[in-house]
Amino acid sequence: MNFSLVKNVLKYASGFCYRTKNVTSMCASSVITKGFHTTPSNSDLMEFFDIKKNWNETNIRVGRAWKLDELRIKSNVDLHKLWYILLKERNMLYTMEHECYEKVRLFPNPERIDKVQESMNNIETVIRERNIAYYKLETGETGERPVEDVVNMFGLPEKYKKQEYHIPQFMNSRWVRPYLEHGYINSLAVKKFYRLYKEKQYNETRRARNRNFNHVQHLLKRFPNMDLEKLKAEYPDVDIEKAKHTKKARGHFLPKY
Amino acid sequence: MRIFSFLGKKVGDLTIKYSNLPESYIKRSYEQVYWKNPTGYPQYPAAQIARKKYRFTTHRPWTGQFRRQNEPNTHRKKVFLEPVGEWSFFKGDRVEVMVGKDKGKQGIVNQVIQERNWVFVEGLNTHYRVVGKDKKFPGVTILSEAPLLVTTGVKLVDPETLKPTEIEWRYTEEGDKVRVSLASSRIIPIPKAAEETIDYKSKELYIENKEKDTAASEVTKITFQPKLATFEMDIMESMGIKEDRVPVKSYWY
Repeated sequence: MNFSLVKNVLKYASGFCYRTKNVTSMCASSVITKGFHTTPSNSDLMEFFDIKKNWNETNIRVGRAWKLDELRIKSNVDLHKLWYILLKERNMLYTMEHECYEKVRLFPNPERIDKVQESMNNIETVIRERNIAYYKLETGETGERPVEDVVNMFGLPEKYKKQEYHIPQFMNSRWVRPYLEHGYINSLAVKKFYRLYKEKQYNETRRARNRNFNHVQHLLKRFPNMDLEKLKAEYPDVDIEKAKHTKKARGHFLPKY
Repeated sequence: MRIFSFLGKKVGDLTIKYSNLPESYIKRSYEQVYWKNPTGYPQYPAAQIARKKYRFTTHRPWTGQFRRQNEPNTHRKKVFLEPVGEWSFFKGDRVEVMVGKDKGKQGIVNQVIQERNWVFVEGLNTHYRVVGKDKKFPGVTILSEAPLLVTTGVKLVDPETLKPTEIEWRYTEEGDKVRVSLASSRIIPIPKAAEETIDYKSKELYIENKEKDTAASEVTKITFQPKLATFEMDIMESMGIKEDRVPVKSYWY
């Protein structure tokens, strides 16, 4: 591969969505015959690379990612095709990034990866929304993987993602939560850990409180005509009246009182 | 964790809008993460060691200059920022300078740095700068604007009286959020220049990338048909896949 990408990264994006040549026209050239094939052109390994025209480019300007509201008006088939287009684009970008790294070149516009990823995340969100709506209507449940609030081995609250088994829990003698069954949560070690953990958390909040108080004092010193309501809104936990009368907030002049 | 939220609010919304880049990209381009716990293992808490204090200037966070200015082991004095509440200065606004040698003059905002509460007013509050000075060459003197604080340095100009005025954000009857001058109760519209980004002056002027972009007409086309089926059912139907096996009962625990 002899593409020469010069050092210059400029960023481009806009009101046009990045990646998908014409989702709907692809619907027309349908998919029923031979699985789905989103690219009209023939495919070989070179599809992992960008088109040859872009190899020497230093700046490949593209539009922005697909937004949720734009994806919500698309049919499932369109979303399915768009997903694979984006997936191929992402593969291509990762390949090009790696190739540039190998050739010690600058990868042009690395934010394209983020844009594609954001679009893909949005597609997943939209599909999940649709499926949840279906399952809620049909079964009254979300159809998502169930999550349970449990206390974990360290005595801390945790979201436990349930797993699927072919036999019920009471028959499954191999499935145990050892720390629950054996009462570790009430053990001395866990209690000690929990106490120290709480102490650490308390210290963090205390430091944050002191830091904010000090910061407010300095702000009052530097900006004596400051809007105190905005200050209160930004630092709701700080006693501003108290901070006003401290030595640090006074500044280098004699007080009038 | 705590640190993520701490880092998250550092870059201003206007900066992100101006850059026209995904937020995740801006974040990963300016962050300096020295250590991060592996994700997806229960034994590792979501901890990371990263630089916490960055110096924000006119160098934008995604640029190389910013990285050079915030090299590891460079530490600079803390900058105290007066809380401003809701941001109300945009590019293209007419403002009056309240401090300095150009006090009382009015001008147009040409740059906004939200991270520092700064605005730059075109041709006002300037100084001369010599660039490219050499042993043989005396350099070129250029005029450059100095930043002004939005809290004390500038005030928006009332469109009726053309005097500096305080403003308030209110809602119109249509539900739009607008800036209202307190002196004359006139709406101060947000200028067209505010939607300018690093890439284009306005959205209409964006030049489409023929190979990569989807046309706007395709994006706005509504193809969704409500249907009582999950995504998977719909796709299987459209691809002619028939599945009549019934899954065995399973248990979640």
